[in-house]
Amino acid sequence: MIEIRWHSRAGQGAVTGAKGLGDVVARTGKEVQAFAIYGSAKRGAAMRAYNRIDDKPIITHEKFMRPDYVLVIDPALAFTDKITENDKETTKYIITTHLSKDELIAQIPELQDKKDRVFVVDAIQISLDTIGRSMPNTPTLGALMKVSGMYDLDFFLDSMKRVLAKFPQKIIDANMEAMTRAYNEVN
Amino acid sequence: MSKGVLATEKRGMRELGAEKAVGWDVVTQGTLLYPFESELKDVAHIRPEERPYSDFNSYTATVASWRVVKPVYNRDVCIDCQNCWVWCPDTSIISRDKQMLGIDYDHCKGCGVCAEVCPTNPKSLIMFAEAEEIEDALAKWPEKKKKAK
Amino acid sequence: MAEKVELNEIEVWDGNYAVSQALRQAQIDVVAAYPITPSTPIVENYGSYVANGLVDGEFVMVESEHAAMSACVGAAAAGGRVATATSSQGFMLMIEVLYQASGMRVPLVLTVVNRAVASPLNVQGDHGDMYAGRDSGWVQIDAFNAQEAYDLTLCAFKIGEDMRVRLPVMVHQDGFLTSHTAQNVRPLQDEEAYKFVGDYKPYEEMLDFTKAVTYGAQTEENWHFEHKAKQHKALFDSAKVIDEVFAEFKKLTGREYKRVESYMMEDAEVAIVALGSSVETVRYAAEQLREEGIKAGVVAPRCFRPFPFDEIKEALANVKSVAVLDRSAPMGAMGALFNEVSSALYTLENRPFVTNYIYGLGGRDFSIEQAKTILKEQKANADADDITTNIQQFIGVRGPKLGFFETKRS
Repeated sequence: MIEIRWHSRAGQGAVTGAKGLGDVVARTGKEVQAFAIYGSAKRGAAMRAYNRIDDKPIITHEKFMRPDYVLVIDPALAFTDKITENDKETTKYIITTHLSKDELIAQIPELQDKKDRVFVVDAIQISLDTIGRSMPNTPTLGALMKVSGMYDLDFFLDSMKRVLAKFPQKIIDANMEAMTRAYNEVN
Repeated sequence: MSKGVLATEKRGMRELGAEKAVGWDVVTQGTLLYPFESELKDVAHIRPEERPYSDFNSYTATVASWRVVKPVYNRDVCIDCQNCWVWCPDTSIISRDKQMLGIDYDHCKGCGVCAEVCPTNPKSLIMFAEAEEIEDALAKWPEKKKKAK
Repeated sequence: MAEKVELNEIEVWDGNYAVSQALRQAQIDVVAAYPITPSTPIVENYGSYVANGLVDGEFVMVESEHAAMSACVGAAAAGGRVATATSSQGFMLMIEVLYQASGMRVPLVLTVVNRAVASPLNVQGDHGDMYAGRDSGWVQIDAFNAQEAYDLTLCAFKIGEDMRVRLPVMVHQDGFLTSHTAQNVRPLQDEEAYKFVGDYKPYEEMLDFTKAVTYGAQTEENWHFEHKAKQHKALFDSAKVIDEVFAEFKKLTGREYKRVESYMMEDAEVAIVALGSSVETVRYAAEQLREEGIKAGVVAPRCFRPFPFDEIKEALANVKSVAVLDRSAPMGAMGALFNEVSSALYTLENRPFVTNYIYGLGGRDFSIEQAKTILKEQKANADADDITTNIQQFIGVRGPKLGFFETKRS
């Protein structure tokens, strides 16, 4: 089973991102789960979303998770939230930041012995440039594809077009560009 | 300006929900919450920064990290009209004896209402990026706009 | 006519979305609702179907849950297919009218997204509201995941509307854990789904002006007892219809439902009985313990009402120790599920040890590790041939260990 934990603020699209990823993965014959913990929190409050992916039906409903991937889609949460909680020796981190990887790790002691598993991408700036507002969820998925090798970019973009089908073409195109940029820029 | 009126190092370090992890035997009866750490007489006449707020009070919690942009206050232009004080949805405009003192950055979410309702020319409250230093923001303050004839 | 919607063979839906799709496919005449977290999206999605012309029925906006259920009862008595959704405080406000609905024998469907009941205020999932409905005279069916929430909502109309039943039906799912968790769901296409549910068959509908009828009569000590007795029997007798509907559903989809779901019980020595999404988590834990050599199994009442006493008794006849899990504050008693299961087992010649665990209140996480701990304690009971713990224990609560009753058999 692959497990993914999203650290986000309510309104940044982590739930949509988690469900979109689930949608794409489910159509390749896998079983998925996408859920979030937010309760009655307001827009802007820190929240977490989760994905589980497996070849057989997923029957656990515990919220506890030892994630394979941690996606931090808000820059401040890398500092204020416990992003390394319950991690494994193989957990990979994709963190949205305007800082370089070294600058970021220098400021977050918990990441210092995990250097080779930390990846950075400025998903906020990418979304501002392409989508026109701060919406770091889809670019982060582009970065995840690069880091995880889950699917190749073209296949993933095609699948995401279907997930985003309800939006106007302009927004779909902007999201495609955002995911492509994040795929190429994550390091 | 009284000490501790505005955001300080001491205040605003706790996120809401960070109450102590205590057991069923210790939690308050009836889920009652006490805003102050001790009994208090005549609380209306004690200034907020001098009240012994408890951990459960939202005064000791902060939403500062929610902010993307922040209002910066320029004393030189302000006419103390109190418009921002009235409109702020989070009581984050600090005013004392009808004089504007500044912004409570622990509880301001950066919504921009204060800057919107400010009537002066140029405005006395302008939204800047969160990372912008206050001094730099003040140095960039716009000039008075001429009325279009 | 409402437009048809093409669905994919596999959709990724959460429990709320799944239920709203089932409601759309059932072609309901009237939905009267007052949205409340976490069931809000059911009504919200359904409202968008109304606005977009995907359903023909009426959507009635009301000023409270009490009014919502009242409007539903009125519409059902008038002769329409009726449904609504609620949770927690909204459910509590509906309770007075729930008894009216079942007493008048109107077959409406209430999809309940289970949530804790205040105070303290809490929006997360526990079974406090579901338990509060247990004497209200409704059929209560419990879904453990989004697929089941969809399937059982379709079944609910067919069960309640059957002329042999004519009782209202609740379909429960766990707040957030099921309602807001998106998973693979294999839906039926619109035509198949509607064909399964079937056209609504009215019974003594008020809008049949050729035959006037009064609903909601008053009876005192002269007749009240007989009417309640008849209703009680109808609820117990609905079990047969539920089995038939489940069998028909299996024929259509291959998905099998039973009033009691047994998992790895053939040779089980210890077992957990639970409700809701935890059933699946416990199954996972039992699988893991089997690898450690503990013969663990899981029993889950799919039907909370009518309670499947015979089937529970049969399922647990050969185990040595049973843990019954209640996700509702028992308040001065044993948990309700513990009481039902115990009474079902009492007449067994070699009845197992039965203990009660209170867990997961207000959405507190229930982990695989906790489930394993509970099963291991049952194993200890079996090995010691006695109860080694308190009869009732709280698990997952912060603070000193909390348990009640030390009754030992020996």
